Amino acid sequence: METRVSNSLSAAQTHKKAPQWLWPLLWGALLMMSVFAMSAAESLFRWIEPDARQVIYDRAGFVTLLGRHLFVVGIAAVVTIIVGVAAGIAVTRRWGCDFLPLVAQLASLGQTFPPVAVLALAVPVLGFGTLPIIVALMLYGLLPIVRNTLAGLQGVEGDIKTAAHAMGMKPTQILCQVELPLAAPVILAGIRTSVTINIATAALGATVGASNLGDPIISGIVNGNMAYVVQGALTIALLALTIDSLFEVLQRQLRARISSA
Amino acid sequence: MIELSHVSKRFGDETAVDDISLRVPKGKFCALVGTSGCGKSTTLRMINRLIEHSEGDIILDGQAIDAYDPVKLRRRIGYVIQHTGLFPHWNVARNIGLVPRLLKWSATDVQSRVAELMHLLGLPVDEFGHKYPHQLSGGQAQRVGVARALAADPDILLMDEPFGALDPITREKLQDELAKLQARLHKTVVFVTHDMDEALKLADHLVVMREGRIVQQGSPLALLQSPADPFVESLLGGLERGLKQAALTRVKDHMTSMGPTLPAQSRIPGTFSLRQALSMMLRDHSDRLTVVDQHDVPVGELSLRRIIKEAQLDNGNPRE
Repeated sequence: METRVSNSLSAAQTHKKAPQWLWPLLWGALLMMSVFAMSAAESLFRWIEPDARQVIYDRAGFVTLLGRHLFVVGIAAVVTIIVGVAAGIAVTRRWGCDFLPLVAQLASLGQTFPPVAVLALAVPVLGFGTLPIIVALMLYGLLPIVRNTLAGLQGVEGDIKTAAHAMGMKPTQILCQVELPLAAPVILAGIRTSVTINIATAALGATVGASNLGDPIISGIVNGNMAYVVQGALTIALLALTIDSLFEVLQRQLRARISSA
Repeated sequence: MIELSHVSKRFGDETAVDDISLRVPKGKFCALVGTSGCGKSTTLRMINRLIEHSEGDIILDGQAIDAYDPVKLRRRIGYVIQHTGLFPHWNVARNIGLVPRLLKWSATDVQSRVAELMHLLGLPVDEFGHKYPHQLSGGQAQRVGVARALAADPDILLMDEPFGALDPITREKLQDELAKLQARLHKTVVFVTHDMDEALKLADHLVVMREGRIVQQGSPLALLQSPADPFVESLLGGLERGLKQAALTRVKDHMTSMGPTLPAQSRIPGTFSLRQALSMMLRDHSDRLTVVDQHDVPVGELSLRRIIKEAQLDNGNPRE
């Protein structure tokens, strides 16, 4: 019997465990600095905008803006994940496979539709405020999740599903105990793409009165104050990097747990 | 007991299995042999209702399989496939314990059953229980596959080319182990393979299939002695047929009592096959062997003339 040298491998993996939290912590710390201590960098922003009356955006606290931003992205993410994963599951079942092309196309259509256009169309119906931007984010974020749920579930080897079936597992048991755990890394990658894109896209909400981290950017553009624009963009970028690196850690842990070859 | 009578399976216009009838008595090992696409795997999958048959009756222990709940039916039938189909995210012990857990055995019962099976298949629990499928060699993974199929102690075992993806040495080893296991457990086995040697070695009953139909069925010896047509004959190895037949016959069934002449130099255990006896004669340039029992005590002798004569008698056309 051959034995594989897996010990040295797993040792190397545990060794890597410490620095895997490095990036989320680093980006998170920088994000906190930009949210709580933006004014500390006043001299820097003064250098960007020497003539402006004011260089630190102060119409609303960055903490409040961050909270609203996260709220919008979070609501959109929860809804997209539930709808996207459910749709992906439904059309890969035997009873739902007729709808597979339709769902795949609808999800692609959602992403080809620019969020700005969704906002323009949604405002007359839903009014100004937070709701139109949530709708826009949901439509825009649906594709990566649906696509990856489909890819993940379709990627589970036929032999594994056949075996599960032949052992006498019920369809729900196969889905929950075999298919979803095996598809999870791919689904999570889709969620990661969707959420990261939406963190940036949510800034558009500021144009329709949904106050969030897009506010300083819009205000900066309107008033010709580049310092505001930089502050908004920087905070959004740091938020996106923080969340993205958190997903990275989550994915790595999931992959280690599933440890499929 | 498994009984198929006039069973057919159609996929659209195509007939995959065409009016086959087959009986596997309890505790017997039945091999379905044929080239790929001959319907042997389809036949197997109809037995545990992974595929529903279109016509005819499949009877399991006196009851038509349509009367069973498919999920419950499958839990009492072991199933082994070529690429194992082990769950890559579960360790070996959890994979093996799948069906007992589905049957809601207590955790301690599952655990002791898993340990028992791993011992039976030569996989030490301490070493392998916590390994994941990708850490196993092909042979080890297939042992786990067999253990998983046997977990809830089913009466029936369906095996779909279980050793087809293994290297020849591992394959032979697992075949030997399966033969030993079967001698102990007496499961009713239906075994699909395209490897005629494998089938001859393991089966009590051989079924040759071609284009969805059964061409010939019977004991391995019966098929070797009188293949129904050139197709069966070529599957059985053409010219090699004589040797294959010799491989199925034991020395001790054909030996004669010790003659007055001096015993031959070369000794062969009575449990060996005539094929091994022939090989030994060629190797030792001798036309006579002394047959010994398990304690190496001479019990008889075997001559080349005798082997040839027996072969002629077996074929039913003695020329002397």
